[in-house]
Amino acid sequence: MTVAAGIGYALLALGPSLSLFISVISKKPFLILTVLSSTLLWLMSLIVLAGVWRAFLPLKSTTWWPFAILILTSVSFQEGLRILFWKVYKRLEDILDAFADRLAKPRLFLTDKMLIALAGGLGHGVAHAVFFCLSLLTPAFGPATFFVDKCSQLPFFLVSAIIALAFVTIHTCSMVIAFNGYAEGNKVDQYFVPAVHLVAGMVTLVNFASGGCVVGIPLLYFMAILTLLHCGKMVWRRLSETRQ
Amino acid sequence: MQSSILDSIGVEIIGVMSPVSICMLLVVLIVYSLSSSNPFSAASAPPIRTAANLVYLESSSDSTSQKFEGALLNALVFVILIAVVTFFLVLLYYYNCTGFLKNYMRFSAFFVLGTMGGSIFLSMIQHFSIPVDSITCFILLFNFTIVGVMSLFSSGVPIFVRQGYMVALGIFVAAWFTKLPEWTTWALLVALALYDLVAVLAPGGPLKMLVELAQTRDEELPALVYEARPTVSQNGIVQGRSLDLLVGGVSDSRSVEMQAMSSNNVDQNENQNRANSGYTVIQDTNFGNMEGVQRRDEGGRSLSVDILHERHSSSSSSSEYSTVVGNRDSEIVVDEERSPLVGAPEMRNGGEQMRDGLENSDVSSRGIKLGLGDFVFYSVLVGRAAMYDLMTVYACYLAIISGLGCTLILLSVWRQALPALPISIALGVIFYFLTRLLMEPYIVGTATQLMMF
Repeated sequence: MTVAAGIGYALLALGPSLSLFISVISKKPFLILTVLSSTLLWLMSLIVLAGVWRAFLPLKSTTWWPFAILILTSVSFQEGLRILFWKVYKRLEDILDAFADRLAKPRLFLTDKMLIALAGGLGHGVAHAVFFCLSLLTPAFGPATFFVDKCSQLPFFLVSAIIALAFVTIHTCSMVIAFNGYAEGNKVDQYFVPAVHLVAGMVTLVNFASGGCVVGIPLLYFMAILTLLHCGKMVWRRLSETRQ
Repeated sequence: MQSSILDSIGVEIIGVMSPVSICMLLVVLIVYSLSSSNPFSAASAPPIRTAANLVYLESSSDSTSQKFEGALLNALVFVILIAVVTFFLVLLYYYNCTGFLKNYMRFSAFFVLGTMGGSIFLSMIQHFSIPVDSITCFILLFNFTIVGVMSLFSSGVPIFVRQGYMVALGIFVAAWFTKLPEWTTWALLVALALYDLVAVLAPGGPLKMLVELAQTRDEELPALVYEARPTVSQNGIVQGRSLDLLVGGVSDSRSVEMQAMSSNNVDQNENQNRANSGYTVIQDTNFGNMEGVQRRDEGGRSLSVDILHERHSSSSSSSEYSTVVGNRDSEIVVDEERSPLVGAPEMRNGGEQMRDGLENSDVSSRGIKLGLGDFVFYSVLVGRAAMYDLMTVYACYLAIISGLGCTLILLSVWRQALPALPISIALGVIFYFLTRLLMEPYIVGTATQLMMF
């Protein structure tokens, strides 16, 4: 029974990414490699951040502003990495195109580029879910569960799985939006992504208040759905443009 | 719509990575299910004494420096043991005792599958309370073992079965290694990575000698190796190309510690491959960049050009550089029973037949070969990480896989047998301790406050 609960939490957080992975990514080895390298990049960013913050940990759980600074620095560092990721991708794209020419195959289609962006985003999202939710799940397979004082309505594992799902969505979509924004030189999209990431991170601060998760989680899901809609709209627009 | 090149890039890398991932996943599951809640296995674990801790038996009450010295001594003794055994096997191979080697391999595979696999099955049956009577269990185990031995060394078995048994061997041995005490495990892993480096690359290293011997005799390496063969199901030509692409576009064999087997390819294919190889290499190096290896492009480019010329001049399409591999054998020398040592020459006939078959269907039959020892020690690292926390498991997995990727890229640049352990193990160990010491308090601290980003 507890094993079922543990698996349930894991699937709640990672189910959508899993189905995305199986249905889209796993058919193209190159995309798998992209997912892996983007996951690794995210892990390294976490390690660097943890190294910087190590001296100040553990933070006191009574004041909220150190957490705000922590989230602010972490988000800005990761958004910086996103730009780096884009630069690397850009070079990769040139090489892939040159290679395609050489093989007398078509260059990368628009859908291919979007798939690569999706894989990169999925890597970030999966890394988030794995490290923030899945790695804390071990006790959930045992005979008990765990509640946090500040959010006593739901078990901690369930809350973290729900939050992780929102972040997986945000990370996955925002990579697609960001790559497209960089490619088109669209300033709005370029600023949209860090803004969403930062706001989503800040919204989790609401959980700090006692019972805050009742408000915080809906707000977070509002951001996630906003990102999802924006991403969908943008992809639809791009695809219909190229079709004409 | 024409298929885009995305479909064909990376097939070979994934072909190597997926069995390694499966092996690690299963070892982690075994470690989890058997070690965490089973009082029997926990109780019986400490007293094991194997070749890997001959000198010093670690106990948790010892002081840190005592553990450290003891672990170093253990690792040293184990590596020396492996080196001696490997030299002995090279000697046997040198004097053409392939019959002996082959039977020895059969015996050790039988032994590993039967006893180690058997004991793992037993503890699983105990743990999950599976209702099986001993006779049924014995017959099943015996069948499993016999099929395994036959599939490893005979030709008529589908490659898929053989690959499955290689992974199974890796899992059993790795699961045994995880019973070693903690400090000894780490010292052992580092020592083996260093040994691997020396044995494969240094002149006079046993594995290098083995590879060169096999090369001059134009035989396959006598060893237990996992062979990632191209899947025949897809369109042959595309497949062949992508392989090259992937691993660096070389049309002959390369081995990362793995050896790629090149076969007598259809000429046409070969030519195309050659033309591609330049690009390929560059491409690979680019992946490298992504992973943090910077600035290899220039080098890669010129190198690849050289390679091209070389290729053209030497039109031998069937040179086999086999690789290294010996290692693994030795690594497998597990506990006192140095069981599966190495390799008996893989059946040439089998290979040949396979090749013929493949050639007929116009597919190039080269694949990357990865020594079984690499499987084992990757899994040992991950299994050891699993005893601490899930977070370290993920970090180590990513580190090892990316190390493997780096090795494959280097393979495509250098095109000679390479040791697969050093980069992966180094990254794995670094990431393990970084995660454990730095990342864990950070993540647990924020996540338990329900703060994420």
